[in-house]
Amino acid sequence: MLKADNIASIRQYYFASCISCCLIALLIIRFFQLQIVDHDQYSKKANTNRIRKVTSSAPRGLILDRNGQILVANLPTYILNAVPGELPDKGATFDFISKIIGVDSILLARNYKKYYRGRFIPTRIAKDLTFSQISRIEENRLNLEGVYFQKFPERYFPSSVRASHILGYVKEVDKDIRSNLNNPLSYELGDIIGWSGLEKSYENDLKGTHGIQFYQVDAFGREAGYVEEFPPRIPEPGKNIITTIDINMQNSLEQHMVGKRGVIIVGIPLTGEILGAVSNPDFRPDLFTGRILEDEWNNVINNQDKPLLNRFNQGLYPPGSIVKMITEAALLDHPDFDPYSSLLCEGSFQFGDRVFGCWNTLGHGNVDLTSAIMQSCDIYFYKTINYYDLDKLAKFFKGFGFGLITGIDIHGEYKGTVPDTDYMNQRYGRFGWSKGALLNFCIGQGEILVTPIQVFNYTNLLATKGRAKRPHFVMSDTLQNITEPSLPLDVWERIIFDMGQVINNINGTGKNANIDLNNINIFGKTGTAENPHGEDHAWFIGWLELHSQVWSVVVLLENAGSGGTVAAPLAKKVFMDILYNYSNINAMVNK
Amino acid sequence: MIGLKTKELHLSIVVTVFLLILIGLIVLKSISFHHQGSFLSNPFNKQIIFLIPAITLALIIIFIPRYSIHKYSYPFYVIGIIIVLLPFFGDLHSNTFRWLDLGLPFKIQPSEFAKVFTTIALARYLSDHTIQMKKFSSIIIPIGFVLIPTMIVMKQPDLGTAIVMLTPVLPMLYWSGARPFYLFLLVAPIFSILTAFQTFSFSIWACILGLVIILARPTLLMSIILFFGNIFLGLISPMAWNSLTLYQQGRIISFLNPEKDPLGAAYQIIQSKTAIGSGGMFGKGWGQGTQTHLKFLPVQESDFILSVIGEEMGFVVIAIVLVLVCFLILQIIKRAFLSKDRFSSLALIGIGSIMLAHVFVNTAMTVGLIPVKGLPFPFISAGGSFLISSFFMVGLVLNLSINYSD
Repeated sequence: MLKADNIASIRQYYFASCISCCLIALLIIRFFQLQIVDHDQYSKKANTNRIRKVTSSAPRGLILDRNGQILVANLPTYILNAVPGELPDKGATFDFISKIIGVDSILLARNYKKYYRGRFIPTRIAKDLTFSQISRIEENRLNLEGVYFQKFPERYFPSSVRASHILGYVKEVDKDIRSNLNNPLSYELGDIIGWSGLEKSYENDLKGTHGIQFYQVDAFGREAGYVEEFPPRIPEPGKNIITTIDINMQNSLEQHMVGKRGVIIVGIPLTGEILGAVSNPDFRPDLFTGRILEDEWNNVINNQDKPLLNRFNQGLYPPGSIVKMITEAALLDHPDFDPYSSLLCEGSFQFGDRVFGCWNTLGHGNVDLTSAIMQSCDIYFYKTINYYDLDKLAKFFKGFGFGLITGIDIHGEYKGTVPDTDYMNQRYGRFGWSKGALLNFCIGQGEILVTPIQVFNYTNLLATKGRAKRPHFVMSDTLQNITEPSLPLDVWERIIFDMGQVINNINGTGKNANIDLNNINIFGKTGTAENPHGEDHAWFIGWLELHSQVWSVVVLLENAGSGGTVAAPLAKKVFMDILYNYSNINAMVNK
Repeated sequence: MIGLKTKELHLSIVVTVFLLILIGLIVLKSISFHHQGSFLSNPFNKQIIFLIPAITLALIIIFIPRYSIHKYSYPFYVIGIIIVLLPFFGDLHSNTFRWLDLGLPFKIQPSEFAKVFTTIALARYLSDHTIQMKKFSSIIIPIGFVLIPTMIVMKQPDLGTAIVMLTPVLPMLYWSGARPFYLFLLVAPIFSILTAFQTFSFSIWACILGLVIILARPTLLMSIILFFGNIFLGLISPMAWNSLTLYQQGRIISFLNPEKDPLGAAYQIIQSKTAIGSGGMFGKGWGQGTQTHLKFLPVQESDFILSVIGEEMGFVVIAIVLVLVCFLILQIIKRAFLSKDRFSSLALIGIGSIMLAHVFVNTAMTVGLIPVKGLPFPFISAGGSFLISSFFMVGLVLNLSINYSD
């Protein structure tokens, strides 16, 4: 270590000490000025005038349909605040308020506890008050020291559609929610925040910015105008969002689904826009605003059919025969496979020591690839499984977006399951499964599970020969790409031809969906998915072409029977709606 | 050895720190009076809990041999730079990269420790090298030395801590014998730019500048360059400012004054001044501060704690606090002067500067002399990392102020 006798001179020492003392002295002088010289002035300010910061909620943005019709709007309601430090006697004040506006005083006390944040911060004690209740409060102003009202925009749903799973709902921000937010400063207790559906996905657009007012408050707690130094900040309403939904289409779909369980999705394949989507059973969209009765709430919560479940992207179903076109693509990928050679279907197929049946127990006779798709013959696909293996088929399924999220703009999407070797080993162990699994997989049964939105995306890919964009509910300038299968053009064309046969051929399983009109072409595929929950799920996927326009449709009816007899007729109704709404040939449609 | 140390420990410093902590706890108890929430979110409880590791750390530091502090000062300087970089790899916390989240119930602010490491390393640099402190060039390297961590902290962004980190450089250079005139030249351009926006302040600055140059008597050519160079800088800065787009100006303003909501910052100052002013000579009494219990000041347990003292305990206690702090800093300077080894002496000056910077910036902000900068008051404000780093500095002061050669 270095040693030296003189590190600093006595002059440096005095200078450093002197500077330190001067700085501290400057501070002490400043305190003297504030606390002794100007004490009276500040004391008066503190005693007779308080500045109160009041925030006012910004109205959330509107949610509109594709034509600008309002789906979700705001209803001006009133809330009642109390400033804890200004309440002379809490209990008595609450009892008095309860008497004049007819709200239970226990409820007032409960709210007070819930929203309390500090002695001088306005604390909400009641909400959803009417104008007449507020008038009565104002008449009794002099007896209600420390109680103020404020306007509060609440969500309401003016349109005829429910669309509850799409629009989603909002929640009131409480202490728990607020402490878990990334940006807690943007929310006050009692604000509303999007909690599901589009309300959640587009929260940042919809929420807007708080207004802030600084009030001068006199000794009696009365607001004596704005503080001059701080001009008020006007609340900035949230941005409106325009959805791809068409109210008319949505309305028809909801009518079709009354009393049924399942999903319908209708959209435009090339852009991925969704015109209407129903997940039934659903719930009233204003279920969460707190204005409905407790009984109704309990009905929804305890309903075994799970109305709160968003079946589009969280319902997992076996797809059944609707995915046979993927198997078809995998077959056509093999150079030795001949789509024109016929195989005999006798109604059952022996594999090892197990017998696999065709859905048609009498058998389809001699079938080639096209008629196997058209009649949805299972035996044909059992007999051709040697042209691919499990991992190759899984790769084709993933190419069509199964086993992956589609990226739909509603949160909580499930991926579903596409079984490949890794998956099967993990689930059943290295030797716990056999090639029999492939027999299930190739006809859309067994381990495979899909969501309706994935099926919609798959249908769009088929309809556009792989050029479809990501499915979405809100209009956007930039369309997002999705995983797409790269198939040769002749394979696409064969698949589409076969899907046309499903509808137009007299033996086609989808003939019930056909509309016999010039200029229009319908393509489709039915599915009847066995499942452990009872009766089969009925599927129909397809699209309608009119001149250069295309609309795709996905129908799923839970435990309703076979796709051809239940789902296809419903799909026909949807195709009629499309013609009725979007074509000028609606006069010809016998609606 | 230990016997010698305890005898040599400067009780006056220990007692001063103890008194400041005590006043802090009394105030925090008052603030916590209406507190609702979990045990650790109560500032009083949090302070008590954090005192345990803080005091333990100070005790450990006292018994570390001084040559170890000297030997490991450079590695610790590097560690300091690494830990202030780490938050950039984590998540944003309240829109900054100040905090390190290690999954503990509290977050750590690494810059609090980096500032001490940097100062110690600077002390070693200035003491190790038999550099010619009279030369202008030899004061540039130490400044670069400190600028590296400072720039990183500024980027977090944390302007308050960056200022505190940079502050020790000038006093330490002065202490190590650099010509005061050169140090003046270093800060002169900053003043030229800052005063340029107001004619009156700029005129006064020009006079001071001229006077200093005349007194320091450099060569004629040098004087002319220095004087007119600064004046020119001052004259072009408003023009340069105006040539910036509104967006660029906004970026600079928000950098210098990071409070996002200017309305909020001005509002805090008004509330703070009203609280202090209404306290008067003896205050409104413990727990009686009406202004303080307006929970509008989001950081009254740390940045605005002096407002609480001012309102509830009055000018008398404020004066006691500031006199105690002044006494503590004078003690540190005195130990630095009496120290027989250059490293300890410089390190003491550095630590004293850090503490004085904290006290001055925090207090000046509270009474509205400077814009709002988020900086706590040593030993009184609640704060985890800050409390620990303050005791770290106390431990260093006690260690370094023992004179072995006596």
